[in-house]
Amino acid sequence: MTDISRRGLLKTGGLAGAALLSGGIAGTGFARLAAAQDDPLYAAARKEGALTLYWGSYEQQTMEAIRDAFKAKYPGIEVQLLRQASQTVYTRLRLELQNGVAECDSLGTTNLLHYTELKKIGALAAYDPPDAAMLPAAFKGLDKDTMYHVGAISLTSINYAPGKVGAPPTSWMALLEDQWKGKITTGSPAFSGDVASWVVAIRRKYGDDYLRRFGQQKPKVGQSNVDTVTDILAGERVVGSGAPFSYTLTQKAAGNPIDVSVPTDDAILNLGLTGIPVKAPHPNAARLFTNFLYSKEVSDILSKNYWPTLRTDVAWAEGRSLDQLKWYRNSGDDLAAEVAEGIAKWKELVR
Amino acid sequence: MGVISTSSRDAESRPVMARVPLVKAAVLGAVILLLALLVVQPFGWVLFNSLHDDATGAWTLNNYARVVRSAELIEPLVNSLILAAATALIAVGIGVPLAWLVSRTDLPFRRTIRVLTLTAFVTPSFIGATGWILLAAPNSGWLNTAWRWLAGEGAGAPLNIYSMAGAIFVCGIYTVPYSFTMVSSALDEMAVELEDAATTLGCGVLRTMVSITIPLAAPAVIASFILSFIQGLTLFGVPAFLLTPTGIPVVTTKLAEFYQLFPPEIYLAAAYCMPLLLVTGALFWMRRRYLGRKQYVTISGKTRAGRQIRLGGWRWPALFLALLMPLLSVFLPYAALLLVSLTRAWGQGLSWENLSLYWYWWAIFGNSETHTAIVNSLVYSTLGATLCVALGTLVAYIVERRLMVGASLLGAVATVPIVIPGIVLSVGFFAAYTRAPLNLYGTPLLLIAAFAATFLPIAYSHGGSILKGIGPELERAARSLGAGEARTFLSITLPLMGGGLVSGWFLVFIPIIRELSVAVFLITPKTNVMTTLIYNAKDGGNYEAVCAMSVLLLLITLFLVAVARPLAGLTGARRTSRKTATAAGVPS
Repeated sequence: MTDISRRGLLKTGGLAGAALLSGGIAGTGFARLAAAQDDPLYAAARKEGALTLYWGSYEQQTMEAIRDAFKAKYPGIEVQLLRQASQTVYTRLRLELQNGVAECDSLGTTNLLHYTELKKIGALAAYDPPDAAMLPAAFKGLDKDTMYHVGAISLTSINYAPGKVGAPPTSWMALLEDQWKGKITTGSPAFSGDVASWVVAIRRKYGDDYLRRFGQQKPKVGQSNVDTVTDILAGERVVGSGAPFSYTLTQKAAGNPIDVSVPTDDAILNLGLTGIPVKAPHPNAARLFTNFLYSKEVSDILSKNYWPTLRTDVAWAEGRSLDQLKWYRNSGDDLAAEVAEGIAKWKELVR
Repeated sequence: MGVISTSSRDAESRPVMARVPLVKAAVLGAVILLLALLVVQPFGWVLFNSLHDDATGAWTLNNYARVVRSAELIEPLVNSLILAAATALIAVGIGVPLAWLVSRTDLPFRRTIRVLTLTAFVTPSFIGATGWILLAAPNSGWLNTAWRWLAGEGAGAPLNIYSMAGAIFVCGIYTVPYSFTMVSSALDEMAVELEDAATTLGCGVLRTMVSITIPLAAPAVIASFILSFIQGLTLFGVPAFLLTPTGIPVVTTKLAEFYQLFPPEIYLAAAYCMPLLLVTGALFWMRRRYLGRKQYVTISGKTRAGRQIRLGGWRWPALFLALLMPLLSVFLPYAALLLVSLTRAWGQGLSWENLSLYWYWWAIFGNSETHTAIVNSLVYSTLGATLCVALGTLVAYIVERRLMVGASLLGAVATVPIVIPGIVLSVGFFAAYTRAPLNLYGTPLLLIAAFAATFLPIAYSHGGSILKGIGPELERAARSLGAGEARTFLSITLPLMGGGLVSGWFLVFIPIIRELSVAVFLITPKTNVMTTLIYNAKDGGNYEAVCAMSVLLLLITLFLVAVARPLAGLTGARRTSRKTATAAGVPS
């Protein structure tokens, strides 16, 4: 019970602080609101009055924070958020297309292939969000026809239990050392897109021999790579491979004994994408939301939730940034086949 | 067998039907129409999908060819059959004796054991699996840690939940409630005259049980065996959590992989479910062959004088055995879940500083989505279960009393949905309910209809096994006194089914509350349910929230069960049984 009152106190304190602050910056606040009012896109979106998001990027909590910030900035638009796993959301959209239903205004998933496929069948609308100019250069203009854009940056790294591990492995290669035998937990590429990306990248870097030796380490293979965190916190294993960077840091911030180790042979970077379906029932609201993703507000929320931000002028949590770490991103035209091959090799060599 | 046939088959199968009254025609028509819309149409889509190519959308038999030819696809089928058969054996092996103890003997705390068994039932399988991972993971499981503490550090881990045995164990203990509820309600509703007769003729407790009670309960035992088997085939959560780490694939985890591929192989997944239908069809066929030759009709009307078998010195040992189930399926796993839910950050372990009600606060007040989801879950399960039991009972009545030509076909139709794993069924429902004549997408009706259809087989087989125990004599008496078919059903059959219907309602209500995969493509932001929220939290790795929401879901359902059961008991079973017993001229 003391806990609730402590929270209550903190909240009151926060409110008071916010009141003081807002007094100070009232001028800017009003100016911003006025600017929003004048925005013709907002006016058009407001006329539509609603927005439906189908999102798999970011976990529930971060997504809800983004939704709430949008509602606060653009009152008068009712926002419906459907947060499910990326592939589920995509399959749902495909089912809707097949059955002639149009519900989704903004799609956000973690698989580039979703967008290349939707583009191929003419299901995406073009839109060039002006605020995307602040994106890191490497991720600007992903699609020359502006049908999809970066919606999330996700990193796959190593995580570990600081109390139980003297010196954590600092590279993917180091995971093959004898000392980690029977100590590693990871996700399955057949269930987790992030782990599938990791398998593709590792095979490109070190070939199938890596997978063979990785299999000999007897890793515990869960479904999602989130399970690595669970295994480490429970004490089932002490080191996680193909592990979620942001989510591990969130758990660390919550007070759990866990930390990340960014591999010197590259963190694997996977992009979440976003696009607007051609039949979106509220296209203007969808555009407004897409542009809002690149606002300072959203990047602040991302930073607070330990996600890489979508603006170069907003630092990541713990003072990290993209240029501080070495990263690698799978690219190429035949990723689907490479993923399928990677999963097959994994089944043969790891389990 | 000691079962007495009271009537010739011919007379039983053909109720006197001078004319087809309007009400009957209307009801038959409505039932057929509902079955067509709710079951035939979605299943038709699954079948249609199975005959199409995922990439091109063209007609093909290739999906079936792939299933038959590929060893990689056969292995999961075999594993699933092993898991299902073992689950059903455990469910019946534990559930039936437990039901007998609770319904027929003077075992202490019978009511408590009933409630606790329902509690196990409320638990979504992935929650049960989570609880057991906390308890019996080889390195970190609390039971293993306790063992090492007792037996010394080098003692190793006696339990490994990540194994086929572990999965069978968890599937089994969470399926026991099916067989327990079905068989105990059959025992509750069973007329006791035959048992009395056996006792009068000098049979001992054991002989009476073997030659009278068990054969009379056979329809319920067999129905529950089949349902448990299907449960073992179609569960996703347990194998996903417990078998993925050991690399043992089963059908449902394989299906999840098909959906995870790019492009998703949804049509192949549909074809992959058809062998399950074959296996289950074979089970139902065997049931018909076995039960078909026998008559389970007992003299109708009931005397529920509460004849109890005295366990004597066995009372307390029996109680100990009866409590093992709740211990394994409720107390231990929920203790683990409760502890995690009460920590601020569970990785820190147990300490006073880490104790917190924050996650409960968060689930109840801090999260607007939870409110809607709780209300939705309750409303959909209530309406879905009601629709499901109404339809299932009517179909069972039509089939058992052969009220129309081709009645058994209706029964077969009513049995199909549950066999198809939820993730595939969800696609069928999507296709069937988003276009004319049922444009339900985005409305609560979509989920209510889908839930009712999915669990129709439970309501149908439960209704059927109750009806098999009720003789048609009273119905015929009513008919010959001039009552119509509808009136006969309402004033004779329905009251006789009484308490059995109530337990049937719970048998459907609870699975709906905890159902996850059928809803996956059907929920919308406005029609979200509890389980999807819990799964999202799990997906996001927020274990404290998962545990807190699971405990809440359990408490809410338990509360409802606790409120509803005595209510149902007062208005349903007892009163009507006394009334019908009097009506039947049997002194109560």
